[in-house]
This record gives sequence, structure tokens and C-alpha cells, in this order.
Amino acid sequence: MLNYIIRRILLMFPTLLGITLLVFMVMAYAPGGVGGPVLNEAGNMKSQEAQRLREYYNKRYGLDKPPIIQYARWINQILPIGFRKVDNNSISDFGFKWPDLGESLARHRPVTELVRESLPITVLLNAVCIPLVYAVGILSGLFAAQYRGKWFDVSSGFVFLALWSIPAIWAGVMLIGFLANRSYFNLFPTSGLHETMADQMLFLPSGWGPTFQRGWLLDTLWHLVLPLICLTYGGFAYLSKLVRGSVLDNLHADFVRTARAKGVAPRDILFRHVFRNSLLAFITVAAGIIPSLLGGSIVVESIFSIPGMGRLGVEAVQMRDRELVLAVTLVGGCIGLLCDILRDVWYALADPRVSYE
Amino acid sequence: MSSSTITPPAPAPAGSPGANAGAVDLEPSRSLLERVVRDAMRGTGARIGVAYIALLVLAAVFAPFLANSHPLLMKQAGAQGGAQTGAWSSPLLRHLTPADVVLLVMFFAVLGVALARRLSGAKRLLILAAVLAVSSPLAWWAVRPPAQVIYDKYRTGLADKSVEQAYFVPIAFSPDDRLRDQPDIRLGAPSAEHLMGTTNNGADLAANMIYASRIALSIGFIATGIAMVIGVVLGALMGYYSGWVDLLGMRLVEIFSAIPTLLLLLCFVAFFEPNLYIMMVILGVTGWTGDAVFVRAEFLRLREQDFVQAARACGIPLWSILFRHILPNGITPVLVNASFGVAGAILTESTLSFLGIGLVNDTSWGQLLNQALGSGGTFYWWIALYPGLAIFLTVFAYNLIGEALRDAFDPHAAKRGA
Amino acid sequence: MENRFGFRDLVICVLLVCMMATVWIAMLQLDDHKRALNLITTVLKEQTGDLAKIRRAVEEGGSISVAPHPASTQASSGDVAGGGWQGRDLDPFARIKLAQKMPGYAVGDNFISSFGVLPDRLTPLVSQDAYAGLIQDYVLESLAGRDPETLAWVPQLAKAWTVSADGLRFEFILRKGVVFSDGEPLTVDDVVWTFKWMMNQEVEAPRARAYYEKVASVEKAGDDRVVFTFREPYFQAFELAAGMQVLPQHFYSKYTPKQFNEAIGLLMGSGAYRLPDPKNWQHEPGKPVELVRNERYWGERAPFDRMIFRILENEAARLTTFRNGDMDSLGPTPEQYRSLLQDKELLARTQHFEFDDPAAGYTYIGWNQKRNGKPTFFADKRVRRAMTMMIDREGIAQQIMLGYANVASSPFSRLTKQSDPNIKPWPYDIAAAQKLLKEAGFEDRDGDGILDSPDGKPLRFKLVYPSSSDVYKRAVLFIKDSCARAGVAVDPAPTEWNVLIQKLQQRDFDAISLAWSGGIETDPYQIFHSSQIAGTGDNAISYSNPELDALMDKARATVDEAQRMPLWHRAHQIFHEDQPYTFLLTRTSLSFVDQRIKNITRVTTGLNPRLEWYVPTDQWKWTKPAPK
Repeated sequence: MLNYIIRRILLMFPTLLGITLLVFMVMAYAPGGVGGPVLNEAGNMKSQEAQRLREYYNKRYGLDKPPIIQYARWINQILPIGFRKVDNNSISDFGFKWPDLGESLARHRPVTELVRESLPITVLLNAVCIPLVYAVGILSGLFAAQYRGKWFDVSSGFVFLALWSIPAIWAGVMLIGFLANRSYFNLFPTSGLHETMADQMLFLPSGWGPTFQRGWLLDTLWHLVLPLICLTYGGFAYLSKLVRGSVLDNLHADFVRTARAKGVAPRDILFRHVFRNSLLAFITVAAGIIPSLLGGSIVVESIFSIPGMGRLGVEAVQMRDRELVLAVTLVGGCIGLLCDILRDVWYALADPRVSYE
Repeated sequence: MSSSTITPPAPAPAGSPGANAGAVDLEPSRSLLERVVRDAMRGTGARIGVAYIALLVLAAVFAPFLANSHPLLMKQAGAQGGAQTGAWSSPLLRHLTPADVVLLVMFFAVLGVALARRLSGAKRLLILAAVLAVSSPLAWWAVRPPAQVIYDKYRTGLADKSVEQAYFVPIAFSPDDRLRDQPDIRLGAPSAEHLMGTTNNGADLAANMIYASRIALSIGFIATGIAMVIGVVLGALMGYYSGWVDLLGMRLVEIFSAIPTLLLLLCFVAFFEPNLYIMMVILGVTGWTGDAVFVRAEFLRLREQDFVQAARACGIPLWSILFRHILPNGITPVLVNASFGVAGAILTESTLSFLGIGLVNDTSWGQLLNQALGSGGTFYWWIALYPGLAIFLTVFAYNLIGEALRDAFDPHAAKRGA
Repeated sequence: MENRFGFRDLVICVLLVCMMATVWIAMLQLDDHKRALNLITTVLKEQTGDLAKIRRAVEEGGSISVAPHPASTQASSGDVAGGGWQGRDLDPFARIKLAQKMPGYAVGDNFISSFGVLPDRLTPLVSQDAYAGLIQDYVLESLAGRDPETLAWVPQLAKAWTVSADGLRFEFILRKGVVFSDGEPLTVDDVVWTFKWMMNQEVEAPRARAYYEKVASVEKAGDDRVVFTFREPYFQAFELAAGMQVLPQHFYSKYTPKQFNEAIGLLMGSGAYRLPDPKNWQHEPGKPVELVRNERYWGERAPFDRMIFRILENEAARLTTFRNGDMDSLGPTPEQYRSLLQDKELLARTQHFEFDDPAAGYTYIGWNQKRNGKPTFFADKRVRRAMTMMIDREGIAQQIMLGYANVASSPFSRLTKQSDPNIKPWPYDIAAAQKLLKEAGFEDRDGDGILDSPDGKPLRFKLVYPSSSDVYKRAVLFIKDSCARAGVAVDPAPTEWNVLIQKLQQRDFDAISLAWSGGIETDPYQIFHSSQIAGTGDNAISYSNPELDALMDKARATVDEAQRMPLWHRAHQIFHEDQPYTFLLTRTSLSFVDQRIKNITRVTTGLNPRLEWYVPTDQWKWTKPAPK
């Protein structure tokens, strides 16, 4: 087993190398190259400055070198071991060093810092989202299996498929338009994760009646409602169908038949025997869900202006901010691959029949 | 050569049994595929899905006859017309583009081929390809609409009586008729004249929606087709050779599947200002991994089977072993999944367009949806509702079909179901 | 069964995760408190220093001068009584003093506005975005500034200056008693050091250097005198010298250029406002940028306790925040402005302004005259003028900018002395445009609705514009429809920024729509002088007119404004005749401000500076007045 894990982890590196190389080359060979918006803000240009800035950046980031050399420079930069001094024409001083994701071209800030700011927000979104998806998915899946072929099974299958087909962009626009708009229902905030005055709020709600203040925690939850709706509804279909299938498999198993023959109440059979045996499969799926949720947060974060990883990625791409795009892909890729490994390992741990030797 | 056998039915109506069966002309799979399709079409869901897609295809093909600023028939007044005095003319037909004409021709060709009973799948494909090959250069050579159009001339003409009579199609507005003669109509709510309201540019929303269905359909089909070709070829090679080819191939699959797809797409799209065709290719190039994994597993299973060993012993060329002997046995799950692929491609395209990095010169549903939230905090509900609904229904229809196909394909699941 | 992962285990896991999350959040909160404490400590330290100074002063029996009042220094300006000294009679705070006499004037309360993005960094010279510049303008000061109404130069850190006859040498006398916000005095050395620092190649300030390389030297000429010497006469020389923001040497010289380049919020100056902690401003997502009043300011006290700039990236969110009253001012888009005007309840508690800013810049269509070495359609000035006349610019202003824009006729703002008031923009006249095109030989020869050149090429071209902007897109579509009526086919070509810049540099376009930012007196040299065609200069349209070249050379070298303006007027006429660009629009600035803010007036540059605004005590909103 350990062998397998080590092998998988070692295989991650060529894959990550491939991912970054792919993205890097896409950017390098794209018409126009990288870093343009750095030189000009909001469509306005100051004529005297543009040329000088371009020269400066070429010098500093080696943007005028062939792409493969630029890529080698970048790899050298992110590794904990490598050349500590890289000049325009020479390299020297090989040894250990701090890995460095570089500085964002467009924002002039260390990429690590930007990622550190955004990642927790995306994690928070997903951490709240996954239990919700699970709660609804498991319950409806259980009931659908129990009443197989009845109206609940059929209609829940249909409704969840419909939900799954609703584009998140549409859901987001409609929710903002109808539930966060002065012309209709102004119930929720349109964007962001906090009220503008949130930094002066207490953490917990306080006061009563007219003096009520919702506090930082409640304010955050209030802002999370619409994005969470957008992020969750699509997951129900997948999980519910999975639970239903898995529970049905177990319902036909011998031990259930035995239990039934012994006269155990159907409710107890469902929850105590069948559900427990299916539980593992659902948890295992979580590892597979995470990457797709990350993908979903790209859309949701963009619609609701939530400063998470997804939005960081979209903005980086729009600004052609090379270092940032690479960092976001690297982080996303790492998470995806780790989840993959986690899932396979979990499978093997949980099910003695599975072996990777 | 290998690809021609598995190209998905490009211009044919989606999910229609004939078209799908025609795509694969090999006996073993045909029976399985036909059974799957027949079983799937028994369900109400799949039928609704197919009916909706058929409707969409009709709208896409006949778009110029549904929404057009040019009158179908027009009679000009006598006074200044000169030679054309009092003559009837059809500006609509005059302004049809070569693409419109080819679409119409292909539509009727597909219809004819589908109705002709005694043709084999290969022949059907061949006929369609021939029609396409003949009609498109011909259309580009013969059909030459005026290069410059001023849409409001008919409306002003009717007003100042230089046009005596004009008969319009149901929606009397072209998608790029920005109604410059009525500047106040911009962002107007649905009314009797503009059934779905008007857009940010002052164009009729309904007309734009109809024309955008062309983009949604073609992107869905062709992107999925490209993805399938890449996936099948790479999957086949990986499965057949296994060993280091497999190891390398799986890394490639991992590379493409580990990055959140949307982010990868964003990179490609943002850095290569896409037109419709590049967009299709990009969607295809990023979406092949699922198919490849499927096909690889099938090939791993099948390569040790006796009929493959026998074929190899006979000295049959490799491509023939791969694509004529093994593939037909393993392609069905890929085709069954294609429906989900099409839904995914449409969804992705609209998401990209919504994020402002999609198609630049064509109007798609996603782009329209993007205009729904005005910067003034105003919510133009009609721009949100209709394009969003169109995306949703299309995706839903494909998913319904896909779900039905999958259930029909997987007898295990089917038994558990109702 | 015991090895199985049961329901109970799941619950325990979930609880554990929740607990860890709670601990983490609690730790974050603790950190916040620590940061706040640190800030308080810093402020306290500074105040203790001040107290010590006061104690020492009291013990020595001298006068207390922690923040010397300008009145005390004003009296000692006798040493500049001699001839040639300018600005010595002007009071930099005259306008503020007028405001102080207004009814209800009070010092206090906060002013809250918003930024569209969080500035990358606030460190001067290396920061690049406009928002950082705005912050710096409150914190840093220069030797002299322009009066917002008359646009005349008013002394600030300098109290008077002379200009040599050849316009190459500028001598400034520094005001005495000016201190930085940490209490250290501002001296001539700081001015000299600032220039040296800026010109240091290791400092990431290529933008600033592009302007200041015209300055040969900045030298100390006595205890309170500093001399700027220029390499060549340049009409904006005084603006460069007087407008240089002075940095405190004692504060910045502790850092190496590398540290300085990487610093995010290293900002201290002598201005009316200061950062609460000038060394450690940091990005904190969701937190606003805050300036506090500089209590040691040498001039008049700033009116607001705090200037708070919230970071609201989303346009709609900005609007909502202002509507909810969580913000004091908003710079709306035309669409937002119009929707706000319909909100009666909001109008009752706000005031709104439409004003034309002479520095607003202009949008244009550049007609490329030479592509791949061959002249294009637009090499003929009749064609260019015809293009201008067939574009309904007033229509764009009305329909796309909702009326909040004006038609431009040259690179010079019509509000400045640089532009010739007698020139009216070409009217929208399709018939005249067609006539001009006919003169130039364009006719529809093949009946396809598009005019053709004498050699049979249709007058059809791609109009390149930045794809990121929706306003551009709508304007270009409008132009397309506008030109169609004259038989000219425009193909909109939305282009991503990088590609667009590349096309500009390679002169690989037919026509391009972009914007230049402006100024009170702009320098058209970079854009229209024929010397800028070569390489990747900004004359991307290969426009060359010897007469204009000569005019610009002469005007730039003329330091005397009275002699220079007629030259610019002549240049304006040439721009009008030649139409190298079709000058489209200049935007009208729009603003909504809370009703409780008083003394907002319109001046030549737009609205008067915020240092002149105030809130009467009874209308304080963000802070409570101190009990009496």
C-alpha cells in the first residue's frame, strides 16, 4: 500500500510539470504574449510611459527570451533546490533556496500572498457546501431507493436532473436579479462576502429589537446564502443517484434478506443495515467531488464577486498575468491530483477486495 | 480513415435513431446500439428531449424565415422606383447568406436520407458528404447577398410610402438590426412588437435567441465530435499497447483532467481570441479525457480476447485491428455518453461567453445573459429569463436523452429502476 | 463490524472539523486584535515623543512648535521681497480659510468613498494605479500646486520661486517650519534626495524617470533654496519641478532600492492626511484603505478625522452601498447616474454634480495612413474628414453616454487655453461626407452598396477596439451602423489588450479606437510628431505634417505661456483640417455626494478639493461630537 502511495505521489510530479508546461506554452505562444494590461490601465495610456515599462518588464522577467528558457527559469524559481542567482545571461550558485511562486505581473504582489488570501475563501465556500449537498443527496437517495418506482423516486430523479441542467450563470443572475434587487425583493446582498462595515462589527450577533446588530458571523452567513444555493443545487442529482444505486444494491444483498426474514422493521433495515453499508461509498465520492466544486466556484465567485481562488484565476487569465495563472493552475492541479490519490487509497483501505499491488 | 467511421452525426437532428445508427456501420455494435437507442426512446423523458432538440434544429435551420428585417415580399411604389416600379420583390431571399442556403440544403438532404429506407449507414453518410461537398462551394459562389445592409430602410420606406406593401416574417427583425431609427427602444421590456424585449444594443431579443441556437447546436455537436475522435484514438492506443504508452497517455489524461476544466478553457480561450471554429476545437481538445479512459478500459479488456489474437495472427494491419475489430465492441458507451458531452459543451460555451471571454463576433445565449444585470443596478428580467431558459432547456434535453441512453445501456441500472 | 466507519465516527469527524474551524477563526480574530493593538502602540509612541518635545520646550521656556502654524512663518517672508520672485504673496490656504468662515464649519467626522480595486501598493514612485496616486496626493506635497479655480500656480512647500530668462533654471525658496507627519522637519535635502532617489536606476520608477530625465540636476543653493536645472527649454518644465512630490529622506533612506521596490505600503509625507501606520500598510481583503488627519500638519487642519476608501470592485455593489448610505460619495456610470436621478428618496439626502474635467482625456479613432509600407485609404485627408463627418458623434454622446459626453475636436480640452475657441467640431453630415469621398474618387462601382476606390477596392476596413469594454463595443457598433448609411463598411474587431498593443506597435491595423488621457496642458508631440513614427513610437498612424511638426517643436520650447498659446491654437487648426484622428468624445464626470457634506463647489478642474469640504457638527454621522 505504502509503495502504491509513494508511486502515485511520484507520478504527480511529471503530471504537474505537464500541466504547467501546457499552460505556460499556451500563454507564451498566444498572440500578444503576456503582461499587456500591466502597461495600460482602463484603456487609457500615457504615451511617454508605455514603451519604457515594456522594456523594463522584458528585462526583469525575461519576457524577450525564448519560451522554453522562460519556463526553465520559472521551474527553477518554484523548486526548493536550484540556482539561486539567475541573471539575464548567466546562472550560478546552485543549492537549496526558498521556493518562490514569483510576483504577480498585474498586481505587483507576491503570488503566494494572493493565493493565501483567496484559498481560505474558496475552502470556506466548499466546506459549507459539501455537507449541504450530502444531507440532501443522501436523504433523497435513501427515500428514492426505499420507494423505488413510486412517485417520489421518479419525480426526484426528474427534478434533480433538471436542477443539474440549470446553468449556474443563469441561477446566479436570476437570484441576484429577483432576490437582491430593489425592484423586486431586496433580501440578500448582491456581492462580496461581507458588508462594507463588517470590519467594525462584533463577531456574534448582539442587541435585541431595534438595537439588533447581526455581527460578523451572521453577516457572513447572510452573504453566503445566494452563492451557496448556486454552488449546491447541481450536486444533488449526482449524489442522490449514487446513493440510490448503492442502497438498492445493498437492499438486494443477502444480509438484508436475512434481516427481513428475522422480522426487523423496514425502517431499521434501511438505516441500520443498508445505510451503514453504503455510507462508505458516499464519503469516498467526496474526494472526487472536490475538484468539480472548485470548478464550480470559478463561476459562482465571478458572479457574486467573491474574492476566492476561482475569481483570482479568472482575473489572472483576463489580465494575462502569467505568474498568477501558473500558480492558480498549480494549486488547482495539486488539489485535483491529491484528491484522486486520496480517493483511490480510501477505496483500498475501506474495501479489502480492492488492492493496487 | 479511422475517424470517418466514428464521426458523430454532424448536421443531423440529435438523438434521432437513424442518425445514430448510421454513424456506426459495423454489425456487432449496431445491434447493441440499436437496442440501446430503441429502449431509451421508450421513456417519456427521452422523447421530450428529442422533440425539443428537433424543434431547436428547425429553428436554427429556418432562422432567416423566422426572424428577419427584410420583408419576405415587398412592393415598391411607382414614383421614383424606375425599372422596379410596382414590382414585387423578396429582399429576404436576396439577403440569404451562403451559410443559410447550405443549412437548408443539408436539412432537406438529411431528411431525404433518413426517409430512404433501404440505404446502409455508410451510403447515407456518403450521400450527405457529397451533398455538402457540392452545395457549399456552389452556394459560396452563387449566393451573393449585398454586402451592406441598412435595416431600417423598409420601416422608413413604409412610413414615407416609397414601399407600398411589405409582408414580413413572424419576427420582423434581424439579430443585428439595432433599430437605429428608434433609439428609445433599447432595453425595452417584452411588448407586442418585441415579444421577448430588446437587448443592450437595441436589437430584438427573440431574433437573437433564434440565431444563437445555431451556435449552441453546432458547438455542442462538433466539439463533442472532436473530443470523441481524440479520446477514441488515444484511448485505443493506450489500451492496445498498454505499458509505457499507457503510462504516458494516462499522464496526459491526468494533465487535462486535474486542472479544473473551466480554468484550462479560460487559459486557451482568453489567450486565443476565439471565433466559432477555434472555440469548437478548444472545447474538443479539453474534453476528450473521459472518452479516452472509457475506450482504454475497453481495449485493455478486449485486446487479450481470441478474435483479436486471431486477427493479429492473420497479419491484419494495426489500424484495422484497432478500429475495425476492437473498436466496434467498445464504442457504445462512448456514444451513449456523447449526449452528456454535448450538454456539457453547450454549458461551457455559455459560461465562457457569460464571463466575457467567449465568442467575440457571434451572439450566443451566454452573451445575451451577460447583459441582464445592468450597471445601474437595474435587472432586465427578460434578458435573464429567455436566454437562460434556452440554455437550461437545451442542456436538460440532452441530459434527459443521455440519462435514458445510459439507463438503457446499463441493464443493471435499468433493472433497479422502475 | 467494529472496523467499519460508522455513523458515529462520521459525527465525531464532523464535530472535530467544526472545532478546528472555530479555533482557527478565533485565532484570526486574536490576530486582528493584536494588529489593532500594534497600531495603537505606534500612535502612542509618536505622541509620547511629541509630549517629550513639548515638555522640553516648556522647560526651556521657549515656544511650543510641534505643528507650527503657517501664520508664524508667513510673517518672515521678507527675504524674498526682491524682484523676480513669484508666488510670494499667495496664501496656499486662502480657499480653506474662506471655507472656515462658512456657517457651521466644523472639523470632524469621516468621509467615506470607494475604490474600484485595491491599490497594489501605496509606496510612491513604484505604485502604478490611479487609486494609489489619489492616496499619495493627500499624503505627499509638492513645492507648488495649481489653484483649482484659476489654474495659477500657488506656493505649497515653497514660498516663492524664480525662473531664469532662458527657462532652464528654477529656484525655489522653501517654507520654514514644515514638518513631516512624524514631526521631523522638511528641508532642502529632502527635495534633493527625492530627485536622486527617483533617478536611481535600481528604483522601479521608469514612469517617473520618463518625465524627469529632462531635469539635469536638482541642487541645494543655501539653507532654504533649491535649484532645478533643465537640459533644454521645455514648456512643462515648471510643472515638473514644482509638481515633484517631496519624500522624507530620513524615512526612506533606511531602505535599499530593492526593499523599497518590494514594499507595499511605505508612505509618509508632509500632507494634511497620513497613513495610520506609514510603514506597515497591508492588504487585507475586505478592509478599506484609511487615511487619518495629520495632526502635526503645518498648514490648516484637514476637515475630516478620517478619509476612508472602501474597496468595492463590483459596480452594482458600489451603487447599493451608496444607496444604503454606507458611503458618502459615488462616481457613477452614466447608466447608474440616470437611475439614481429617478430615486426621489435618494435625491433628498444627496447632492449631485455633472462637470467637465479639463484633464478627462478623449476617445478617438486613429486612421492608419500607412500599412505594410503602402498608403491606405486614409492617407487622403478628404477621406479622413469624410469619415469624421459620417460618424454621428453627437448620437454616440446622447445614446451611449446618455448625454454625459461632449464631442471633441482636438487633443486639447476645449476647457483649457490650449484649444482655439473658434473651432467647432465637424458636423454630422452624410451628404457632405459622400461628396468628399466622391471628390477623392470613391464610388459604388459594382452595386454591392459599398463605395469603391478608383482602383476598385471596396472601402471596407476593420475597426480595432479593446474587447474588454462594453461601452466601446456599443460605440463601435453605432459607428458601424452610422458609416453603413454612407456606403462605408466597418468590421468591428474587438481585440484583447496585448494583441491590440502589438498591433499598434507593428502598425498592423486599418483603424483603431482608443482613448488618451489628458491634462490641463497636454503635449501632443508623442502622438502626432512625425519623429514618433519610427520604431514603436506612439504615432502609430504614421501621420506626418511638417507644419505641425515645426509648430509643436516651437511650442514645446516656448516657456512663455502668452507666446505658446497661439502656437497651440494654430496646431488645433491643423488637427481640425487634417483629422489624423477622428476625435470622438470627452466624458463628463458625474458625482453623487451625501447631503451633509457642505461647501462642494464646481471649479475649473471639476469639484473643489476635499480639503475644503466639511460636515457641520449636528450632521456628523460616523463619529459622535465630543460632549461639551
